[in-house]
Amino acid sequence: MQGRSAAERIRKAIAVVNAVVDGAGDEEITPTEIAEAIRDCLELPETANVPNVRKFLGEALDATSDGMPADFVAMTLYAALGALQEGHLLN
Amino acid sequence: MRSAEGRGRTLDEAVDAALIELGETRRNVDVKVLREGTDETLVEVTVIDPAAASSVAAPSQAANGKAETVRNLLEGLLKHMGVRAQVMVRTGSDPLTLDVSGRDLGALIGWRGETLRALQSVTNVMVGKHLAEGERVIVDVERYRQRREHTVREIALRAARQVKMTGDAITLDAMQAFERRAIHLALEGDPDVTSSSIGEEPDRRVVVGPRKAASE
Repeated sequence: MQGRSAAERIRKAIAVVNAVVDGAGDEEITPTEIAEAIRDCLELPETANVPNVRKFLGEALDATSDGMPADFVAMTLYAALGALQEGHLLN
Repeated sequence: MRSAEGRGRTLDEAVDAALIELGETRRNVDVKVLREGTDETLVEVTVIDPAAASSVAAPSQAANGKAETVRNLLEGLLKHMGVRAQVMVRTGSDPLTLDVSGRDLGALIGWRGETLRALQSVTNVMVGKHLAEGERVIVDVERYRQRREHTVREIALRAARQVKMTGDAITLDAMQAFERRAIHLALEGDPDVTSSSIGEEPDRRVVVGPRKAASE
């Protein structure tokens, strides 16, 4: 159940980034909002229990604050999601 | 330009019916969904201009150098992933759109298009240095994005009709950003209805409501 909530939070962060990429039309997402969504993921203790998840989330947070393109942030978040799913499969 | 209509229970069946009539393969045609229902789907299949198609296929032409580079990078990525698929550059597309086609590519689309989104993000990071600042490429697998955009546009138009009849606002299901964008674009020219988004990702929804007159 916990794994699901972490995956949901990462998916939420990805959705926020994708809204920037797609120019969703009536909304403006700031880097602060993206960073908040990623920090929400980092706050979950279970992200610490699975190898590489925090590493990728940290990289995504750094990429956001460095002003890297949204696709790069999205790619790094997908990597975190993949690491989380892989970790749960191995456990 | 040759075209034919096809009907079937599913989109694939409808496209196949039109392809048989035209005697063409999927890689040479453009598909437009005319009606998509629970019982029957109607499509219009148009043969892509052979001259335009060949201009994309020729890697030596300088004008298509960027498209060809991007296509090769995506093809290489798919090869490393062990996916056997063909990558074509959609003619006349802006932004540059890459169509991936092949057999059993459902895994490349993934849950609600999640894997496709990831593939597109990776592709854009890989090809970034070949593109101008702010330029992006769109990756589509078996025309999934195109089909989905068409479906949500249909939903938007149906919702708009209902709003005009009842005067009540309608909240649609949660959608991805590109789907919401398609809805806003579909309704932006309608003088009687307006669309806005509410809620937070990934449960953000579009609300279609009556447009209030300026004097009200």
